[in-house]
Amino acid sequence: MESLVETANPGVLSAAGKEEILSEATSKALHQVRETVGNPFVDNPRMTCREVNVYYGDKKAINNVSIDIARNEVIAMIGPSGCGKSTFLRCLNRMNDTVEGCRVTGDIRLDGMDIHDRNVDVVPLRARIGMVFQKPNPFPKSIYDNVAYGPKIHGLVQNKAELDEIVEGSLKKAGLWEEVRERLNQPGTGLSGGQQQRLCIARAIAVSPEMILMDEPCSALDPIATARIEELIAELREQYSIVIVTHSMQQAARVSQRTAYFHLGDLIEVGMTDRVFTNPRHQLTEDYITGRFG
Amino acid sequence: MKKSILLASALIAGLFAGSTAQAAGRDYISIVGSSTVYPFSTVVAEQYGKTTNFKTPKIESTGTGGGFKLFCSGVGVEYPDISNASRAIKKSEFDTCQANGVKDIIEIKIGYDGIVFANSKKTAPLKLTRKDIFLALAKDVPDPKGGDKLVPNPYKTWQDIDPALPAVKIEVLGPPPTSGTRDAFVELTMETGAKTFPFIHDMEKKDKNMFKATTQTIREDGAYIEAGENDNLIVQKLEANPSALGIFGYSFLDQNADMIQGSIVENESPTFENIASGKYPVSRPLFFYVKKAHVDVIPGIKEYLAEFTSEKAWGAEGYLADKGMIPMDKKERDSIAEAAKNLSTLTMK
Amino acid sequence: MKQPTTNPAIDKVNRGLRRRYRAERRFRICGATAIITALCFLFLLFFSIVANGYKAFQKTYIQIDVFFDPAEFANENLATANFPGLVKTSMSSLFPEVNSRGDKKELFYLVSPGASFQLMQLVKNNPNLIGQQQSVWVAANDDVDMLLKGHIDRTRPETERRVSDKQLAWLDALAADGKIKKTFNTTFFTSGDSREPELAGIWGATCGSFYTLLITLSLSFPIGVAAAVYLEEFAPKNRWTDIIEVNINNLAAVPSIVYGLLGLAVFINFFGMPRSTPVVGGLVLTLMTLPIIIIASRASLKSVPPSIREAALGIGASKMQMVAHHVLPLALPGMLTGTIIGMAHALGETAPLLMVGMVAFIVDIPHGFTDPATVLPVQIYLWSDSPERAFVEKTSAAIMVLLIFLFLMNAAAVYLRKRFEIKW
Ligand SMILES: Nc1ncnc2c1ncn2[C@@H]1O[C@H](COP(=O)(O)OP(=O)(O)OP(=O)(O)O)[C@@H](O)[C@H]1O
Ligand SMILES: [Mg+2]
Repeated sequence: MESLVETANPGVLSAAGKEEILSEATSKALHQVRETVGNPFVDNPRMTCREVNVYYGDKKAINNVSIDIARNEVIAMIGPSGCGKSTFLRCLNRMNDTVEGCRVTGDIRLDGMDIHDRNVDVVPLRARIGMVFQKPNPFPKSIYDNVAYGPKIHGLVQNKAELDEIVEGSLKKAGLWEEVRERLNQPGTGLSGGQQQRLCIARAIAVSPEMILMDEPCSALDPIATARIEELIAELREQYSIVIVTHSMQQAARVSQRTAYFHLGDLIEVGMTDRVFTNPRHQLTEDYITGRFG
Repeated sequence: MKKSILLASALIAGLFAGSTAQAAGRDYISIVGSSTVYPFSTVVAEQYGKTTNFKTPKIESTGTGGGFKLFCSGVGVEYPDISNASRAIKKSEFDTCQANGVKDIIEIKIGYDGIVFANSKKTAPLKLTRKDIFLALAKDVPDPKGGDKLVPNPYKTWQDIDPALPAVKIEVLGPPPTSGTRDAFVELTMETGAKTFPFIHDMEKKDKNMFKATTQTIREDGAYIEAGENDNLIVQKLEANPSALGIFGYSFLDQNADMIQGSIVENESPTFENIASGKYPVSRPLFFYVKKAHVDVIPGIKEYLAEFTSEKAWGAEGYLADKGMIPMDKKERDSIAEAAKNLSTLTMK
Repeated sequence: MKQPTTNPAIDKVNRGLRRRYRAERRFRICGATAIITALCFLFLLFFSIVANGYKAFQKTYIQIDVFFDPAEFANENLATANFPGLVKTSMSSLFPEVNSRGDKKELFYLVSPGASFQLMQLVKNNPNLIGQQQSVWVAANDDVDMLLKGHIDRTRPETERRVSDKQLAWLDALAADGKIKKTFNTTFFTSGDSREPELAGIWGATCGSFYTLLITLSLSFPIGVAAAVYLEEFAPKNRWTDIIEVNINNLAAVPSIVYGLLGLAVFINFFGMPRSTPVVGGLVLTLMTLPIIIIASRASLKSVPPSIREAALGIGASKMQMVAHHVLPLALPGMLTGTIIGMAHALGETAPLLMVGMVAFIVDIPHGFTDPATVLPVQIYLWSDSPERAFVEKTSAAIMVLLIFLFLMNAAAVYLRKRFEIKW
């Protein structure tokens, strides 16, 4: 694995060069073998990722990452800004397909099905793996239409009554129903930031996905809204696998069962959340968690 | 989305189908050609359209040359039936016609148009000769110091040319090179004026290109301003600038006699009578040409000819004279009307 | 106000402050001056056009008593009846003392040659008129109209005006009898072109413009939007699409006459479509407006936030659904604005139409896409080129009408943008 650092692309090298100001131990650790610490694999996984590499043009953003995602778990992805959390997350429902110049290699399977297989259609794939983005992005349509859109395009309902049911159920699950039941016909964009984010979650769960990917869902929210969403995540876990990217270590500790730490495109450490936060095994993880950099 | 694409393609298909069906038979006369003849042929067309059951002909003002180009492109409903011209058809144009299968052409002379040099009524009329005009407007003129040599035009005021003329700056608003009026003006004024110099006169035989360049090149130092050829704005410009002179067809002078006056050329003023009698030297015949092959294909061509060649149209008291066209004398009119009736075709050696 | 502080940085800021404000003030003054100058020119333009043209909305009529002599209507065919004769008889009866041939001609000249067609129309609509006496208001000749509107100076010597002393006397007599009136000029809005200014109108050109623009709109909007959507959302970004993009941008700057030449070569010479018709004109203008619409549409597609696209794709919408359900509705106001601006452009265009024969004298009102037609700006151009004095005010009046149409279209663009704009 030594060779990897040498052959790594200039982007990574220069990034590494910048870190001379770091402690000697840290920089030493940087040049150490980048084998994932901890066991990234689980039994009976929902999703498996093997040797995933992502390139933007000829710049490598994700380097040889292998990890499993279990059923009914919340897995948190943490790491310094620019380390590739979002990029990796977007591999899981092939959102990177839409990015110009982005190339993904490696093997990703959902319930054993290779998502990059030629016969796999991204449309149903994305219906199975919902996504909530960092910035709330409701459609500029009514609250009702926002939630109803997914079921409608996927033909999940036969009639208006069923649709109403799904909308109500999803909004209830997202903890938004009480606040918006009176104004379902008003634009979703007129809600507060936290409400919008919950609307986006409702929209994602309305198509009954098997997994939900959340990219910093609470970064724009106040502590109360954040707490609501964390509660929600905890509830949703009973049905779904949830991958959540977050910058808040407390949040990761609160909501997740497992935690994965990324650094400059590498998956450094994976483990049970309690263990990672109390007893990090890798120097970089420890430095990050104790706030020495990141 | 799909619906609108479908609709659009249906529409296009419909249009193509409709338009080709339309082209298969045309029920109106199509006329092209000179912008000088345009005001006259349009009056005839309108009169014809209102007094017969035929549709009013469509008349495009394309200029004489442009008109012949279209006219001579071929025989068939997509080509015009009639071409108006402010000069006779040239041999080269006639040959193009022949080459494209337009064999039989009927030439009809309709009358005359005078080219006038007018200025605002606020000043006195000018008394000019064609030589004066040549000296005022040519790019290169014979050396005023004498000798058979051309020098760039040194004249700034009319008085520089002839002490009898007023000491005002030479400023002429005239037609652009694309117009028939310009052709006629160059031929009737510039060439004749230039030929008063013996060495230029001789040049015509010795060096035709040199002669053309000398007589046809108009100065570009701002003394000659290209304006619309038949533009009622010229009249307003002349009104605003009394020292300027405008070149245009007689009908504009006729319509605006309260604001502008024609300069006296070679001692003759541009009046109706003087142009009709041929005394006023700068006048030209006007024509139109008919494709004989179309006469029985497009309805109403014969009737149009009859209307145009009727006394109430082109006669001395006719409505074309009211519009400023100078009629021919009765004898000529009669013989041409007769020829038109018989559809006598043009031959050219 | 400068506040004394101990912070050296703030002192520096304060020192620079005045210069910064001065720069801002200067810029504001420049901007305001530019706007005011532009407004002045605009006002001057409008003023000169309105001042020249407002009188064209009035028209002079002369009242004559017509006896629809049954003798004249012996023949079945109305068109062959001597209507000019009826007009002449009526005019003569107004001034029985006019005898000589020359004087009579001058007298008849007072009314428009259109008067006889007006009588013909009357009889056509009501055959019972035959044998009756009726007083009719007929259009006065354009010279009379000009005189009464003050465009001909009656104090000038007789030879220098187009209305003779005798005619002046008759007109004064008619005016004293109340047989001359000026009313709103409906002819101007209801008839086609004519060489008699008093009979000329813009309805023919308006219809021509309408048919032409209808073709242009119904082709260029769907094609332009589809092309923009394809290029922006579906086409791979490579050298070819770059070349296409550069070419589209170039096409938008190509002089419009080039499109006329293209139209002549392709639609008329190759496809054999009829010259001078709205189909061909509309197609040529489609070519001309397409780049404008494509560029505007692409710009408005680009301005749709990517987060909306991600949201749609993220819940499993196909690309087509993403475009049709989310991107297009958001981009539509911009596209419509671009389209209407393109249409306004097309409405004011003459140069390309010259090549396809739409610069033509056309009297009959076009009733379809394949009738010969002309358009408003061409009508303006043709009238400005006519020798008759009365066309000067007609030209200005037609410009006013064109400006009103342009104004309405631009207002529609603003309205549509406001109406369909979705806020988030
Ligand atoms: N569209 C793109 N084109 C090129 N490079 C990109 C693109 N998106 C991300 N990158 C690069 O890939 C690397 C990983 O980015 P990514 O967005 O995954 O980081 P992140 O871990 O989500 O950071 P943050 O916590 O700030 O969101 C970064 O170096 C970034 O600059
Ligand atoms: Mg990120």
